[in-house]
Amino acid sequence: MADSKYITLVSRDGFEFVVLREAALVSPTIKGMLRSQFIEARTGRCCFAEIDGVILEKVVDYFHYWYRNRDKEEVPDMEIPVELCLELLMAANYLNLEPATGLRDWT
Amino acid sequence: MFSWQATFDKQQSALTDFLASHNISAYQIRLDADARRRAARNEQDDANDQSNEQAAVASPASAPAVSASPARATRGRREQRTSSRDEEAHKKEQKAIDKIKASKKFQKRKRGVGDSEDDEDLVDALLKRSAPLPGQMENCEICGTRFTVTPYTRNGPNGGLLCNKCGKELEKDDAAAKKKKKAKRASGGAVGMRRQVQSNILDGTYTLGAKSLMTLCIETLAKNIDLAEDLGDLPASIMDMIARKLSKHRLLDSRTLSLLLQPTAEDVHVYDGAKLSSDDFIRIFRTVPGLKRLKVRNGIHFKDDVLDFLMSRHIELEEFYVHGANLLSESKWKEFLQHKGHSLRSLRVYWTDKHFGDEVLSLLESTCPSLTRLKVCHNQQVTGTGVAAIGNLKSLRHLSLDLRNEVHPDVYVDVLSKIGPSLETLSLTRIRTGDNSILDAIHTHCRSLVKLRITDSEEMTDAGFVRLFKDWANPGLVFLDLQKCRQLDAAHPRNNPDGIGLCSNGFRALIAHSGKTLKFLNVHGCRHIQAAAFEEVFGPEKVYDAMRKLEISFCEEVTDFVAGSIFRSCPNLRELNVFGCMKVKDVRVPRGKILVGVPNAKGMVIEGDDEDDE
Repeated sequence: MADSKYITLVSRDGFEFVVLREAALVSPTIKGMLRSQFIEARTGRCCFAEIDGVILEKVVDYFHYWYRNRDKEEVPDMEIPVELCLELLMAANYLNLEPATGLRDWT
Repeated sequence: MFSWQATFDKQQSALTDFLASHNISAYQIRLDADARRRAARNEQDDANDQSNEQAAVASPASAPAVSASPARATRGRREQRTSSRDEEAHKKEQKAIDKIKASKKFQKRKRGVGDSEDDEDLVDALLKRSAPLPGQMENCEICGTRFTVTPYTRNGPNGGLLCNKCGKELEKDDAAAKKKKKAKRASGGAVGMRRQVQSNILDGTYTLGAKSLMTLCIETLAKNIDLAEDLGDLPASIMDMIARKLSKHRLLDSRTLSLLLQPTAEDVHVYDGAKLSSDDFIRIFRTVPGLKRLKVRNGIHFKDDVLDFLMSRHIELEEFYVHGANLLSESKWKEFLQHKGHSLRSLRVYWTDKHFGDEVLSLLESTCPSLTRLKVCHNQQVTGTGVAAIGNLKSLRHLSLDLRNEVHPDVYVDVLSKIGPSLETLSLTRIRTGDNSILDAIHTHCRSLVKLRITDSEEMTDAGFVRLFKDWANPGLVFLDLQKCRQLDAAHPRNNPDGIGLCSNGFRALIAHSGKTLKFLNVHGCRHIQAAAFEEVFGPEKVYDAMRKLEISFCEEVTDFVAGSIFRSCPNLRELNVFGCMKVKDVRVPRGKILVGVPNAKGMVIEGDDEDDE
């Protein structure tokens, strides 16, 4: 199971999403969960007690959107539903999906 | 794996939430619908019963309680009986409209939307719940024909329902309008995208692949900020990103400022305060009592009464950054420093012309014992006296000056001899008269510099730079900016017999000293660095792992070969700026790196043929 190409993400309200492992690794949080000898690494299941199914679904959408476009230039923006925006922002923060550090940040 | 029932519940509850936010209760709707259905059934029964009597009269009890339209629907047949009821229903409807218009929510929505035309639409939308359900009969809004309402029945322009025929006609018109809209968008597409990529490159936010989810969310949020009533409890770092985005779009005003102010925060960053009034700035101190770090850009209305209010509060600012606050008087600055200076660690003042001068700087020694960072940028008042006073600030670690008055180099030398050893940042922007004595003072006194900036000097020489970097006991710099340190002579622009400015040897010396540690190097406009020096420094066996950004614009000797060598020698380089390097023509840029300012970029035309020039 640990070597499977796919992992399972579980939301607070019990939805399960099967995601390509490589796509999910964009999140450093998930990467950390899948490393070493955590139970997540053995079972390939990550439970998010803070994230609702609706939000996690969007997050999973994003993982695949990111994976499809990982080497492309001029990527069209993914649509974010306005009503989910804030909750999705919290989830993105939790999963460490931060913008890459800019050039101006030289320190 | 995926339970449909659960999804459905979720959606339903989301809808309920949405409706609740418009003061519409799902329960009420259900009650209304039940009542309507019952009424419709009764009506039908009545009609059947009375068909023999040829007089279709509905019993008053079957009249729908809330809805106005069914009453109108039956008008044709029962004109006389219903006229009074119709009036009553109309009154009710008017009342409901007034109520919606008066409600707080509506006022809020309206502010974002604007004209009165839109608010009619909004009222219509909110009233729509009173339309009949599928399966009932209704009169068409346009032609008046009676028809059965289905789930596909369209709404008319005035909120009523349309029969099949009229609905189809309206659809045709809509489709035509939609086509027009689409065509418009298509023309902006590809060009807009290219333009956006260029904009990102210049902003330094260009990356391969998709944007981060956080960026996407924040962009969506900024676009729809007028819908937001409260951002909830977001971490400070995200708040800061939202604040930046809002300011970038010039959306920061009284209302959006309240969204960003969190009572528990220690930082408030106002990146564009141009639309804020004094009261708004006062509100910052009122809502954020634990404020420690305040940054205000374009704080035009950051006036005396704002500082007065700050002084009346128990707020001990540690960092104070203010940009463009020209209405603050000198006496208020002094009063502020005397009252609140003791906690101040960082003071940065940008773009002031009159009231932040020598006297204020002289006060810092006695009022700000723990000041470690001082930045005075684009200031027209400070002279040598004020700069000399900076030498007394023993706690200072970071010093940045960008003054409009010319200050004699001896003053800087004196300051460096006093506080040089502890300085980590030294930034002297636009010191036209600064000469080698400053470089020598840096060489002698500075031992912990990380960031150094000396720009626009017309006196410093190549030999001076060599003396600075050769055997300098300071560890390697991380940030070095020597832009426009060059000889300026309009009559003989190519000749530089005295070796003024940063030239080949100075460049070699600086790389030998700091090449391994430099992340950011700017030698913009140092025209007399020879190609040989570049080729030697970025030779095949040289590697500079730390280098992230290199700015070599207007260095005339840079060629394709030099640019290629730079990409080879600096594996972690992200951006190379070559504006005005006319010999750079066709460089192969490694994937993921950015080359900005190539003169033959699209949109920029070079006259004549390359071969003919030779």
